[in-house]
Amino acid sequence: MKPLLSRKSSKKVGDFATVLPALLFLGVFVYYPVVQVVRISFTNWNLINDSYKYVGLKNWIWLFEGSGTKYLLNSLKVTFLYTLGELFVTIIGGMILAVIFNKLAKSFSIMRALVFLPKYIAMSSAAVVFLWILNTDNGILNYFIMKMGGTKVNWLGDKNRALLSILMLTGWRTIGYGMMIYLAAMRGISTNYYEAASIDGASKWTQFTRITLPLLSPTTLFLFVTTFISAMKVFQSVDVLTSGGPYRSTEVIVYMIYKYAMEDFRMDRASTVAVFFFIILLIITATTMKISNRSVNYDV
Amino acid sequence: MTSDSKNTALNEEAMLLNQRAQTRKKMLNIGQYVLAILVTLVMFFPLYWMLITSVKSQQEVLRSLPTFWPREWHFENYANVFKRANFSKYYYNTTVMTVGILFSQVITGVLAGYGFSKGIFKGKNFLFVIVLGALMIPLQVTFIPLYIMFADWKLTDTFLGLILPLAVSPYYIFMMRQAFFSVDDSYVEAAKIDGMGRLGIITQVLVPMTKSTLITITLVTFTDGWNSYFWPKIIAKNEVRRVLTVGLVHLRNTFAGLDTMNNHEIMAGAVMAVLPVIILFFIFQKYMLTGYEKTAMK
Repeated sequence: MKPLLSRKSSKKVGDFATVLPALLFLGVFVYYPVVQVVRISFTNWNLINDSYKYVGLKNWIWLFEGSGTKYLLNSLKVTFLYTLGELFVTIIGGMILAVIFNKLAKSFSIMRALVFLPKYIAMSSAAVVFLWILNTDNGILNYFIMKMGGTKVNWLGDKNRALLSILMLTGWRTIGYGMMIYLAAMRGISTNYYEAASIDGASKWTQFTRITLPLLSPTTLFLFVTTFISAMKVFQSVDVLTSGGPYRSTEVIVYMIYKYAMEDFRMDRASTVAVFFFIILLIITATTMKISNRSVNYDV
Repeated sequence: MTSDSKNTALNEEAMLLNQRAQTRKKMLNIGQYVLAILVTLVMFFPLYWMLITSVKSQQEVLRSLPTFWPREWHFENYANVFKRANFSKYYYNTTVMTVGILFSQVITGVLAGYGFSKGIFKGKNFLFVIVLGALMIPLQVTFIPLYIMFADWKLTDTFLGLILPLAVSPYYIFMMRQAFFSVDDSYVEAAKIDGMGRLGIITQVLVPMTKSTLITITLVTFTDGWNSYFWPKIIAKNEVRRVLTVGLVHLRNTFAGLDTMNNHEIMAGAVMAVLPVIILFFIFQKYMLTGYEKTAMK
């Protein structure tokens, strides 16, 4: 009797079976929800009523030409400012730290590890620590400021300063990451370049701007893209430190989605913002990918 | 003879230049070390402050003049955290959730990593693009339908509810695929000739040869799972399945009104929440430090 499947095709089925569990999971828990979230954005779904119906573009009109517009614009502004801040800290700060920590003696590697460690500290733990450090009356930061002749600063309760306070926390966690990535890339640059440059009499600064920076551009681009996307998704630090306040001054877009869904139970509105957010993410990803194919120096 | 003396003169000049360059280099070096130490101190300070506050008495924490070394050591703060909140429950929940995520991500990741690198089947590339595409779909976009779905399935406040959305990681699959690609096909062929099955090839040939990548990614998975906050906060709001990251914040709210009065206990809770990861970090430093680098290089 002939076997049901030939040996070759049964091998293929076996290979396919190895990827099947992952694909099924991604289908059910990633791709299907995307379709659903788009669908919900055209309904009046909330968790208070039992049923829902399709309402066409109502939520979209609410978002772009209704009472939701000003909140959306506010969230976009806050998210954008936050993202700029995190990019600055990760890339510029990370680069500066990498230069400082580059080529230190081996016995100092523990310091590098300590600078990198915050990346692994759970955001919620880090956040309660920063709540304590930034505390207006008993916080140690204000103590230092007053020691140096300054006055008490209301870090989290002032709407002009709350976002900066959140950036202190996230910056503390991310700057060491930027440093590690740059350090790894710097190790990959051949010392020949620098030797040749110093024979030609190039100063350290010239060497840095003419050799190190251009050769690090793929790394910078990598950090730019990954930080951009992850900063856009910021939520935890905001949730613990300020809950979006004061006066929505730290209400980033994910926090806005979260609030509509889990506090107001307006799944319809939350989904609409979520879909819009998703579209923004896709545009950013596509754009950065295009740029990365063009303008990066890959000749090492 | 003349060329010799010329050489010495040149040599002397070179030595002089060299010396000057070296003193400058030394100065630069010292400056670099001083800066590095300062940066480290600033970066380590929040963790130091967390540790120090966690063993102070309430009185000492509330003093207007802060102390940088505890006057008395109050280790009972740690025990008090367990009394005040259901901290052992949070520990248990976090551990089960993390282990669950770890197991399923490792198994599905290694299997799919094999299939997408060494496997032969129709539509392999297309299906891999689907896996990569999932990287671009964050939970922050899909959590609403997921929450509704899980509520329908009665999975709120359950371990399954906590684990499922994070059970498969496209990132893990991607990294394992890269790692398995680096193993030469001849090893796989040889194992096949020896009559080894697919699972045998994966567990006895491929996995041992890519151990360091596997350890690195698994450590990242562990930390991400242990530290996860967004989804647990949504799906496990109630005490029964509350995890550490979420519970810690509740520890603060428990004393609402006296919000900042118990910072010593909150800090003790924070220390306990991060301790497992910090221990892992120092044991596996070599892997943890390169963990994110690896992603950057690929």
